[in-house]
Amino acid sequence: MIDKDIRTIRAEIERIDTLPTIPTILKKLLGVIENPKASLTTIGNFVSNDPVLTSRVLRMVNSPVYGFPGRISSVNQSLILLGLNVVRGLLLGVSVFEAMQKAMLGLWEHSLGAAIAARVIAKRKKMNEPEEVSIAALLHDMGKVALSLKFPAEYEKLLSDVEARSLLVYEGEKELFEITHADAGAWVAKRWNFPPNLVEIIEYHHKPHLSKNYPMQTAVVHLADVLIRARGFGFAGDMLVPHLNQAAWYSLDLKEQDLKDIMHELEDLLQEAAEFILSDE
Amino acid sequence: MPAVTIANLKSGMKLSKPIVNDSGMVLLPQGAVLTASLIGRIENMNLATVSIEGSSEPRKPLEAVLAEIDARFRMADDHPLMQMLKRVMKEHFEVLYQR
Repeated sequence: MIDKDIRTIRAEIERIDTLPTIPTILKKLLGVIENPKASLTTIGNFVSNDPVLTSRVLRMVNSPVYGFPGRISSVNQSLILLGLNVVRGLLLGVSVFEAMQKAMLGLWEHSLGAAIAARVIAKRKKMNEPEEVSIAALLHDMGKVALSLKFPAEYEKLLSDVEARSLLVYEGEKELFEITHADAGAWVAKRWNFPPNLVEIIEYHHKPHLSKNYPMQTAVVHLADVLIRARGFGFAGDMLVPHLNQAAWYSLDLKEQDLKDIMHELEDLLQEAAEFILSDE
Repeated sequence: MPAVTIANLKSGMKLSKPIVNDSGMVLLPQGAVLTASLIGRIENMNLATVSIEGSSEPRKPLEAVLAEIDARFRMADDHPLMQMLKRVMKEHFEVLYQR
């Protein structure tokens, strides 16, 4: 076990944005969106003035992850269509994962897959904000990024350990840090003033029955995570399917046939997403 | 329509999607048959992949895919819910491989 108490680990994780390995673009971005009062116009202008951010946002909103039939051509148009929270999450997602792109490409693929699956499930359940649930799924494993950035040597060893011992990453993290990537992700999300549903979904995506305020959204992200691992799309750090939480499954009120339909609908989108990832410069 | 990386393009392959530049102009139409000189031009277009008809990159045999599913489920095989999920996943691939 690592020789640090939880409070110290938390403090270090919360300061993750001061690490030299964090891209400057994320630092700049956090400066603007950490402010909960930042308006649609402020963020729109900030992003529009940065060509790199603009092209990332447009690339994502036009990607198979967000199946908009028409091409979205401006940042303001995406803000109006997707809403502030979704675009905020998108920006963070692409920037957070940029820090990892090379080392954990499989995690990015897993996250995109989960985002697509969550949107498909949320739409099937006729939920109000399928795009928001999808963003939560895109970011659900950001704690893994935070842990591996803060403790690179330890985390690399952890990943080879869990592989050798057939454990889930989640279990390995508990042994080593006493906390998991779900805790770490929620700490960072809270620190960065993410909306409360995102924080709660990230925190409970492995224990969806503990989500008090957003049980349905959390259950969807949990199922999306399990489904994408079962499908073998991307690499979340281990090659094992975790148990599907029973309470979450029953609360979603889906049948075996629904799962078949969901998988069928997912398949083409995943193929497109794989091409999207390959085409990433 | 598998995406084939530029390094793996060979003469005789057929495009299953047109190659389009940033402004939407078609550079090579769908159905174009690649030649050595076309591949040379594609190399200069700075693309990661192009879409090719048919399965030019061999896909894994179904048996291997099903065995991998068994391996992924090995820690969670004890529960009816997980058995159902595994069944759905195997059937999903069996149907995929039929088409």
